[in-house]
Amino acid sequence: MMTLWDVPGGQSVIVTALDAALDPSVHSRLREMGLEHDHAVHCLRRGPFQGTLVVAIADCVYSLEQQIAKKIQVKPL
Amino acid sequence: MKRIILVGKPNSGKSLLFNQLTGLRQKVANFPGVTVELKSGKFEQYQLIDFPGAYSMSSLTRDEEIAVEKINQALLDQDTALIICNLDATRLQSSLVFGMQMQVMAQRYGKQLVFALNMIDEVARFGHQIDVDALGKELGAPVLAISAKTLQGIAEFKTSVLQLAEQGSGDVNTLAPAVLPPPDFSEQVTQSRVLAAKYGVQSTVVLKNQNAIDSFMLSNFSGGIAFLLVMFLLFQSIFTFATPLMDGVESLIGLTATFVTDLTGPGMLADFLNDAIFGGLGSFLVFVPQIMVLTLIIGMLEDSGYLARAALICHKPLSYFGLSGRSFIPFLSAHACAIPAIMAARTIESPRKRLITMLTVPLMSCSARLPVYALLVAVLIPDTKYIGGLVNLQGVAFFCLYFFGMVTALLVSLVLSRSKLSDDEKSDMPFILELPTYRLPHWKPLIHRIFNSAKQFVYRAGPVIFTVSVVIWVLGYFPTGAGGLQESYLGIIGHWIEPLFTPLGLDWRYGVAILMSFLAREVFVGALGTLFGIEGADENIAGLAANIQADGLTFGAGMGILLFYVVALQCVATVATLKAETGSTKLVTGLVIGYGALAYLLAMLCAQLL
Repeated sequence: MMTLWDVPGGQSVIVTALDAALDPSVHSRLREMGLEHDHAVHCLRRGPFQGTLVVAIADCVYSLEQQIAKKIQVKPL
Repeated sequence: MKRIILVGKPNSGKSLLFNQLTGLRQKVANFPGVTVELKSGKFEQYQLIDFPGAYSMSSLTRDEEIAVEKINQALLDQDTALIICNLDATRLQSSLVFGMQMQVMAQRYGKQLVFALNMIDEVARFGHQIDVDALGKELGAPVLAISAKTLQGIAEFKTSVLQLAEQGSGDVNTLAPAVLPPPDFSEQVTQSRVLAAKYGVQSTVVLKNQNAIDSFMLSNFSGGIAFLLVMFLLFQSIFTFATPLMDGVESLIGLTATFVTDLTGPGMLADFLNDAIFGGLGSFLVFVPQIMVLTLIIGMLEDSGYLARAALICHKPLSYFGLSGRSFIPFLSAHACAIPAIMAARTIESPRKRLITMLTVPLMSCSARLPVYALLVAVLIPDTKYIGGLVNLQGVAFFCLYFFGMVTALLVSLVLSRSKLSDDEKSDMPFILELPTYRLPHWKPLIHRIFNSAKQFVYRAGPVIFTVSVVIWVLGYFPTGAGGLQESYLGIIGHWIEPLFTPLGLDWRYGVAILMSFLAREVFVGALGTLFGIEGADENIAGLAANIQADGLTFGAGMGILLFYVVALQCVATVATLKAETGSTKLVTGLVIGYGALAYLLAMLCAQLL
């Protein structure tokens, strides 16, 4: 199963699901950011040292760490 | 007094709007968590309160939790006449998520709300226009387009805000928030997307420039080089840019001293003015330009939006030490002062990482250490220049001292992260950081901040240094007079405490200066200035470094003092802030003792081995 962490820089994907085990407050925040079912995410690049993923969601750019990016399931756009 | 409250998401220009409405000069910066406390000012007959920024009414970090808690209190308050919700017009969707949640809460408690559509000048720059009236109709609340930066629409905004505040709020629902069922904001999240798509600027247009700069700043190679270069230039510039200004202040103090003592003629008064006032207080004032340069550079970095990138770059390396990338921001701002840095740690997502950050922030070299570093570096390190004067050996030594503080902080973090500090591990929140748009600094608040930092530096330590200088002078001058320091009252006391400092390779004069600096670190310089002034009688009072060199301070002992000041926790205000933020006297007491013991040990090793 493809997660957001697996997406190479420059590629856009569609969110298919968020890990059910996510803390409800994190789940809610991700949804508010635009990370929810059927929404597009553009992966811009990986941060230095492979520490974080830089993604564009709607009108904002966010940096997400591996721990959270691996809990977001995606499919190619 | 009736209140107007100002809320909004971070990086949305809220603090700048607050400054424009109140005429105050609150710190403005381009990263989340600038406003971690409530700031208040007077706006006409109202008290305007700037709340910490929040992305959502469902909090994720401690700063958001505080913000939401305070907002709920304000909603219940009968004196809250109006809520101004600041929106970033260039990022309508993310702004509206919080804005519409706030609107629901305002309606629930019967409060008036107005949307300030800020940064409208930037929307025009993108070649876009927002139909403000239509947006207001869809939102069901007044929307006023403004630019707090260019002042566009500010006059009309002030008039409308006053009218709305005058109308006041309807029947206030005074039920406690806990009594009401928790609101479901799903509809607002969906609606914010619809409205942003209809009225907002296309995200590809907004993010174009930001992405271009980020492709350089965040790449593995160029990003790393840029980061190291920025950090090196930060510390190098404290020496390079400030030196001419410091020379100017030093000359001015020397000239004033000569002029004043010529007027008084030789005698006890001239000795007092020379040693205690110009020697003690004067040698401390020489370092004011360095504080100003440090504030300028940190302020420019904060304003530019680079700090969030630096936090991202540091996330992985810092995670090895049990810290978060967000820890970088308190660590950097601690180089100006540890107190706001400890508060800024509230933005850190994990309680455990927040605690470790707070406990290690005092190891970052704050501006109070700067005079001590500058004096001893000038004593111990030759003033050699390389690459046409761009790199100065003393500047490199300065960088090494700051670097030593950082490395010590990381090692202490590593130890703390392995210990049972708290049971909050399970509640660790993930690292999610918004990268703000790159911006040029807002010069007016920045210039105000530079002068304010100098003023604070002088006001905070000046009276203590003056008092200590006078006390030291009186004890050191009597009963033998000028040149009789060894036989003076201070000499007798000093010889009594000397055994404590002998293992550090220091005589009693340095011991007195170190002990006195537990009142404020800068006192060290003032105390030594007075002591060497009394001893040398009529020597060049402003050239304290030359006096110490001539006196024969060894390299090992001097380096020992430097390392002592890097590590020791000598600031009462920092200790009080730590106690307030951690809520543990035991933890903070342990920290003061632990850092003190480590500082002493390092100083002793330096003196014995170098």
